[in-house]
Amino acid sequence: MRLLNPIAPTTFLVRNLGKTIPLVSVIILAVMLVQSIIALINSIPFSIRTIYRYTDAMLGVSPRGDTSQTPFLVKDLVENSPVPIDRAMFCRASATQVKSIVGKWPFVTIGLKPDDLQYYLKRQGSTKLEGRLPKVGAPEAVISRPVATNLQLKLGDVLMGPEVDGMYSPMEVKIVGIAETDRWVMVNDIDYQKANHFPPIDLAIICAKNRADQDKLDAWAQERVKGKRAQVFAYREVEKDAQTMFEILYQILNAVIAILTIVITLMVGMLMNIYQSQRLVEFGLLQAIGHTKRTLVKRVLSEACLVIIIGWILGLGAAQGLLRVLKRILMEPRAFALDLNDPLSFAYTVPIPICILVVSFATIMIRFKKFDPVAVVERRIV
Amino acid sequence: MIEAAGLSLVYSDHGREVYACKDVSLRIETSEFLGILGPSGSGKSSLLYLLSGLKDPSHGKVLYNGAPIHDLSDEERSQLRRREFGFVFQQPYLLGYMTALENVLSVAPDKADQLKDRAIDLLDALGLAEKADRLPHTLSGGERQRVCIARALVTDPKVIFADEPTAALDHKNGVNVMEILNRHRGNGALVMVTHDPSMLEHANRIVRIQDGELVVETG
Ligand SMILES: Nc1ncnc2c1ncn2[C@@H]1O[C@H](COP(=O)(O)OP(=O)(O)OP(=O)(O)O)[C@@H](O)[C@H]1O
Ligand SMILES: [Mg+2]
Repeated sequence: MRLLNPIAPTTFLVRNLGKTIPLVSVIILAVMLVQSIIALINSIPFSIRTIYRYTDAMLGVSPRGDTSQTPFLVKDLVENSPVPIDRAMFCRASATQVKSIVGKWPFVTIGLKPDDLQYYLKRQGSTKLEGRLPKVGAPEAVISRPVATNLQLKLGDVLMGPEVDGMYSPMEVKIVGIAETDRWVMVNDIDYQKANHFPPIDLAIICAKNRADQDKLDAWAQERVKGKRAQVFAYREVEKDAQTMFEILYQILNAVIAILTIVITLMVGMLMNIYQSQRLVEFGLLQAIGHTKRTLVKRVLSEACLVIIIGWILGLGAAQGLLRVLKRILMEPRAFALDLNDPLSFAYTVPIPICILVVSFATIMIRFKKFDPVAVVERRIV
Repeated sequence: MIEAAGLSLVYSDHGREVYACKDVSLRIETSEFLGILGPSGSGKSSLLYLLSGLKDPSHGKVLYNGAPIHDLSDEERSQLRRREFGFVFQQPYLLGYMTALENVLSVAPDKADQLKDRAIDLLDALGLAEKADRLPHTLSGGERQRVCIARALVTDPKVIFADEPTAALDHKNGVNVMEILNRHRGNGALVMVTHDPSMLEHANRIVRIQDGELVVETG
């Protein structure tokens, strides 16, 4: 065996793997659990943002009730806009659905004129089109890659139809093109929509010339139509909803994680305490042969730090592994969003090592405060 | 070298005062082998703890090279014990997860490299050359006690305190251990407590203790 320093903090840990491994494992499991739970829960609002991200490229405007008012509304917005406008288009939408880990979510197929449709796809970041664009008036649609993955559809499949659950259309609307973009898009020809979808969901789409100005335009438009018989759809609303939707859930989660942290802290603290009581003779002996209390306390504290920090880091690693596997087998096949580097999920694991550190430091200090090496050497205890 | 004056150690037992040591005055000279004899419960161990600074006296003081050791801080006293003293306890306590050699060097981990050769020589002299890499649970009681003796000697201490190091051994092994201790202590003084006079064959001086008090000094 290689000669080891008996009072180096690593020595005890390395030579007593039977004790070190369970301790580290408990911490690893706790950290892994917490980070995975948070990352998975957070994937829901993250999915909402991802699915409706397309709305950040445009402002949707629709009059309430009287669709004949649409052109006037658009004219007003375009003429008074605080930022330069690139394009305003009229469209007719119909309700569809996409899948998420918490069930189906509403989506829309937007019917556009051919040149508007081309513009719209480009605006949504499409770099390439597999297949072709829909013909005028034909029951044909273009979807983007994530939608194809999510609904497991390919070219020639039916997107909407009389029998398609939640995506009704009187005719079978077939997919003729798949656009390569990470945004979620369903578009078809406006003439088909006008001829087949009632009651009409008419809206206008207004795009700022400068993408950076879009949010400014959205905010301004929201103020502009306030109190009028019109409504606007903007990405900022999606952001707000994604945030507030889970407020209560997060409060519950906070309580659960707090309890978990307390349980884990108690467990690890108890284990450490047991191990330390088993080592009283060792501490007494070392102190009797002349090691200072400070050296011993420093050593035990360093051991605790090492165990906790190693456990935490390995726990984060294990969580990454688990989340990667979940993402690969559960999320990606349906294009569900999961952020492996979600900062919140990392933040939630921080209290675990801190609580364990505080508790173990406290127990170590208390133990050594009233520690009498003579009592140990004389076998008056244990 | 060590001078104790009026040392007392009082325990209170349900409000009643129990003297583990009572007004003990004593000198230990450089290189001297001092035997302390006494029956069980007479205060031998207590006296040893007082002399080595492991316990604080209720009255009196201990001078080491003229300086009172109980005025030192806890920290300084530990360092004094580590640098100047060697200990052999009644029980052969070793660190269970360290080899025999590592246990010997555990007194001075900071000087392990310098002391390694001496540690190996000592283990060799104690008949443990082959067993230097063994963990304590694979050693016999006598072997463990010899490792403890090597540990007490490895730093070449000025004073070795031994608290009945032979109590756990049979007579033959006990005598053997005493031989080794005496032979390898070099210039270090040896203060040894025992209730077995036959272990003090090599002692320069023997004092007797009874109910915490020194009774006779034999030359
Ligand atoms: N912590 C304590 N509280 C009360 N009394 C104590 C304590 N420690 C020791 N004593 C008493 O002090 C006296 C001396 O104890 P000590 O351990 O010094 O005896 P000893 O001579 O070493 O005995 P032995 O040969 O059995 O080891 C005993 O009567 C013991 O009961
Ligand atoms: Mg004793």
